[in-house]
Amino acid sequence: MKRKVQKALSMVTMSSLLFLAACNGATETTTKDKSKETGTNSDPNSMFIGLVNPPTGFNPINSGDVAAMFIQKYFQDTLLEMDGPLNFVPRLAESFETTDGQHYTIKIQPNANWSDGTPITADDVAFTINTIANPKSETTQGANISMLAGLEANGKLPEGQTELSSVKVVDEKTLELTTNVPVDPNYMKELFGLNILTLPKHILGDVPVEELAKHPFMQKPTVSSGAYTFAKYEKDQYVELSANKDYYQGAPKLEKLFIKIMPAPNLVAQLQTGELDFNVSKGIGKIAVQDYDTVKKLDNVTASVEPTIGFQTIYFNNNKFDKEIRKALAMAIDRSLLVDKLLKGYGEVVDGPYSSLSPFHDKSAGEIKYNPEEAKKLLEAAGYDFNQTLDLVVPIGNKVREQSAPIIAQSLEKIGVKTKITNYDFPTIMQKGKAGEFDLLLIGFTLTLDPDVSTVYATGAAYNFMSYSDPKMDELLLKGKQEADVEKRKVIYKEILTKIIDDVPALTLYSDHDFAGVNKRVQVGKPKTFGMHADIHQWSVSGAN
Amino acid sequence: MFQYIIRRLLIAIPVLLGVTIFNFFIINLAPGNPVDMFVNPNMSAADILAKKEALGLNDPLWEQYGRWMGSMLQGDFGYSFATYEPVLDNIAARIGPTLLLMGTALIIAYLIAIPVGILSATKQYSFIDYLTTTFSFFGISIPNFFLGLGAIYVFGIVFPIFPTGGMTTLGSSGGFVDTFMHLVLPAMVLGTAIAGSMVRYVRSSMLEVLGQDYLRTARAKGLREFFVNNKHALRNALIPIVTIIGLEIPLLIGGAVVTEQIFQWPGLGQLTIQSIGSRDYPMLMALNFIAAFTVLFSNLLTDLMYSVVDPRIKYN
Repeated sequence: MKRKVQKALSMVTMSSLLFLAACNGATETTTKDKSKETGTNSDPNSMFIGLVNPPTGFNPINSGDVAAMFIQKYFQDTLLEMDGPLNFVPRLAESFETTDGQHYTIKIQPNANWSDGTPITADDVAFTINTIANPKSETTQGANISMLAGLEANGKLPEGQTELSSVKVVDEKTLELTTNVPVDPNYMKELFGLNILTLPKHILGDVPVEELAKHPFMQKPTVSSGAYTFAKYEKDQYVELSANKDYYQGAPKLEKLFIKIMPAPNLVAQLQTGELDFNVSKGIGKIAVQDYDTVKKLDNVTASVEPTIGFQTIYFNNNKFDKEIRKALAMAIDRSLLVDKLLKGYGEVVDGPYSSLSPFHDKSAGEIKYNPEEAKKLLEAAGYDFNQTLDLVVPIGNKVREQSAPIIAQSLEKIGVKTKITNYDFPTIMQKGKAGEFDLLLIGFTLTLDPDVSTVYATGAAYNFMSYSDPKMDELLLKGKQEADVEKRKVIYKEILTKIIDDVPALTLYSDHDFAGVNKRVQVGKPKTFGMHADIHQWSVSGAN
Repeated sequence: MFQYIIRRLLIAIPVLLGVTIFNFFIINLAPGNPVDMFVNPNMSAADILAKKEALGLNDPLWEQYGRWMGSMLQGDFGYSFATYEPVLDNIAARIGPTLLLMGTALIIAYLIAIPVGILSATKQYSFIDYLTTTFSFFGISIPNFFLGLGAIYVFGIVFPIFPTGGMTTLGSSGGFVDTFMHLVLPAMVLGTAIAGSMVRYVRSSMLEVLGQDYLRTARAKGLREFFVNNKHALRNALIPIVTIIGLEIPLLIGGAVVTEQIFQWPGLGQLTIQSIGSRDYPMLMALNFIAAFTVLFSNLLTDLMYSVVDPRIKYN
């Protein structure tokens, strides 16, 4: 008898685990509607796009990851859009004007409403700015309002204040902003206009600023200012968006938009099966270079190739290597090999931080030519110790960058410079970088079209892991940031570019193109470097085929 | 028996406490910190400071641990540093899919391994034996990512029978059939891999028992071969097998990182990897705690199972 009880007890505990599984499975699978059991790729009202990185949340003022910011722009409108390099078009702001570069008047679209019918007002935008400026709020947007007058040196409101004096609500739909000093209007439009996502004051206005980041709205936004509304996010699987029928630019053509999350190899497989309409590219939905040919050969897919402003660099530890040695190392790296062989031609060799898409790209500023013989001579002349092994530190995540490391190491080996490659995850790279625990370090950036690069090259800047410090450079960077006249800025930034190429604190390796596969059923909508979200309400796919 | 269970549960408390202390300090020793993940080039220094302050990262470690422990005892595992959601909500959303996938995979593994192992042992050195040992060897050796990608290619692309990933068809409302279709490939891939090693355990443990005297006795008293193998031999061979099953229960919770990623199965394995990548301390602490708890619990369960399969084992 006792044995039977034991047996029953053990069986019950044992099976309870499996039973739990069954229960949970069942809740996931309740059937509501059986009409749509067939394949999704013939659904003319839905579009499916693919990403690799899962978003962390949908907080308009506190999204640190590119994937979240990308997804948010479908249901949280920016004030402006950019449909070509520095070509700004209206979005939530009907107009965004200045006469002197210091006073800006922003008019919100008169018919723009939140998806619950409440008008989107200048008050909402002012509330957003004040929240970002509040020292107690958690935000990643601080730098985008740092040009406004009335902020402390750290970019925050002075103690005890909750409203920024330079933000003035004129009427329901009009807002006036004042900057500290006159700035290039493009700088203002790009940083403020393209990045600030408006918070709904009627929903979040009464939430204490310290609790805002944990508010459920930041995970499941209940109102939308964009062409789509947020339907749901199944963790690590997909984000489902529905059309916002009352969108001020007109109702979207699609009923549903799905943003699917999967590893890079699956992007290719799902393009092939038609489960995906396109991959997002842009560093968050990239296909591996070795799959480019496979995608190009698919019958149902066309390839889309777009140059970008992103670039990859190799940092030299300036505390360990002086200018001559840095220059020699730079000359020894065969960058055209990286572009031709590794990127299969889908990229370009760039000197300095501006790719050929940037209006500040200037070939006449100088060039570092591949010349191993000369490099070796320079090293010998500088008394370089060929017996040492250099630490080449590589972040994991970007496959192409990982693959570039051994090619770079080989280039250096040719002139007798020994290296040891070590891969680390991103937080480790940040720590090693900040502590200067590397000789050579690979890192990539997508900065703004605005040419300010002080975050990389200014003394003590957040990403100046090289410990590059030059008073002349600091002065130029500051001058460039505070100059409002576009032509004068071009002169300043050419000088900066020349200095970067001449001092080689770091060497820009390449700027790679975005490569995406787009299903042929897609009529409007595809990955773009600029203004990808500009026409999302017109995205459409052809009917069943 | 009841006392024994209580005693074991009481011992578990200091063990769990030790595990959390150890984990907390190990996690904090990892280079980098959660805020680094947010430092995009456009973020200002003041914002970074405010974030560190809000996450409590500026306080001394023991204070952070004390705070974690304090709220954990009240059933509050805190908020994720990465997503700002309650940690438990995040885990709850994934535990179902993980249990479903791993449970199915383990059942498949046992359904294959136990009969095949018995067959292979009773017909030792026969063709069938060589065939199963060879296949189990393949099962152990082929990495899951390879098997997974192969399965996607064959059954998702060449013969498009099953979907290539996810848990439900997007745009549809799901349904049992739909989830089942999504489950087949990942569960088979995992199941066959686990079965590979299981077969070998079952086979060797059966072989050991088959050589015992009491089996000869059983045969001598005229029992049919079927009963000799499946009642007398299997019952005794089960003890080491139960140990193996017990060892694999934590897998149910741990999930399968690689398989989950390849098939975009939204389970705990994926969550763990992401949390490590973003140094999401509260999430990692909770995941580790759950893992430690499961291991202790399944060990206890295994010990109790022993007395079921072998009446000679008694706990007092």
